[in-house]
Amino acid sequence: MQHMVEAPANNEVLENLRLELRRGCLILAVLAELRSERYGYTLRKALAQQGLEIDEGTLYPLLRRLESQGLLASEWREEDKRNKRFYRLSADGKLILKQLSAEWKSINASLNEIL
Amino acid sequence: MELIDRYLQAVKFSLPRAQRDDIIKELRDSILSQIEEKEAALGRQLTKDEQVELLKKLGSPMHLASRYGKQQHVIGATMFPIYWRVLKAALGLAFLVQAGASIAMAAAGKPFIQSLSPLLHYPSVALSVFGWVTVVFAAMDFFGAKIQVSDRWDPRKLPPLVKSDPRKSRFELIARLVIQIIFGVWWLAGLHYQYLIFGPGIALLKFGPVWHSIYPVFVVIVLVDVMFTAVMIARPHWIQGRHVALLVMSALGLVVLYFLINAPEVFVASDPSALQSQELVKSINYGIHIGLMIAAIVNVINIGKEAMRLIGWSFGRASQASVGS
Repeated sequence: MQHMVEAPANNEVLENLRLELRRGCLILAVLAELRSERYGYTLRKALAQQGLEIDEGTLYPLLRRLESQGLLASEWREEDKRNKRFYRLSADGKLILKQLSAEWKSINASLNEIL
Repeated sequence: MELIDRYLQAVKFSLPRAQRDDIIKELRDSILSQIEEKEAALGRQLTKDEQVELLKKLGSPMHLASRYGKQQHVIGATMFPIYWRVLKAALGLAFLVQAGASIAMAAAGKPFIQSLSPLLHYPSVALSVFGWVTVVFAAMDFFGAKIQVSDRWDPRKLPPLVKSDPRKSRFELIARLVIQIIFGVWWLAGLHYQYLIFGPGIALLKFGPVWHSIYPVFVVIVLVDVMFTAVMIARPHWIQGRHVALLVMSALGLVVLYFLINAPEVFVASDPSALQSQELVKSINYGIHIGLMIAAIVNVINIGKEAMRLIGWSFGRASQASVGS
């Protein structure tokens, strides 16, 4: 028997799956972007310019989580007459990024075959 | 910028205390950077409406602050399936106890409203059961005393396979339903018209007064028994339901046994003046009393076994769900 799925429910499912799919990718993208030092606002802009929009409510907590996991290091510095928090990849972060990149490439290659 | 400050103040209120100032400083810089960029592009200051629009994109203060908190839960994902099944079983059991108490009171001749009292108190009992079960599981989760579901999982303890031919099973159930209805009607009628049960033996003995007192319990037993079989016909693969049915029927049986064991006479002589038949009925009552005691013990064991099976079945399902997830 075929089930008729109502549009709003379908959209909600799609949105949840999309968020789930994006979550891991965003972590990888943030780690990769922070190979060079950036502060939150410029990082967000850099990601957006490459097609990865990320809102503040996701980015800043993510940065803190990655820092608490030892993958990022940060420091407050003055720039343009305002204090800004600059983030960069730590030594552990570099290692993890390398491993995650390899994993991503492997998954991507498999998915390309599957899809 | 008053609006931005008010927004940040509201965010700060819901943030973890240790990180508050740091987070607010960073958020302020991010918001001001956005405003500066927009104002540079427009060549003018942002209007209040434009500021409102910008803040709306950030989300409500509470929502934004919540993103900084650790993910919190009372009961974790590993424990939750077990918690949920135990909670359902406990709530069901509490209902049976309350319903049993109501039936017992009605059978003992208490006024109708007074008899209903245990059932009417079920919501508060259920709330209490919910509270205690949740507290116990939350404590187990919090103190890390989690049941090692994955480690304890044993394929040999999985529930048995359901019969592959549901039609045969359904046929058996329909036959059972017919027999149950015939037996139920005969028994309920027989309690009033005792010749239907005793036949010619009615000249010698008949039911004692206790049988009439617990008549409502028999009505409930017959109805519940028929109802469970009807549900089984509709859902022949619902194994859990069979265990629940056995548990409920055993519990109701225990209520009947309780009254019969405590009754002074289960059977009485039809002719009180006939000494010989009185002696015979006395002997029968003595034998019946011992039989009822044994039946009660067996019934209690059965209730325990069914309850354990039901919980074990639930744990088995929960373990599979946990391992499968």
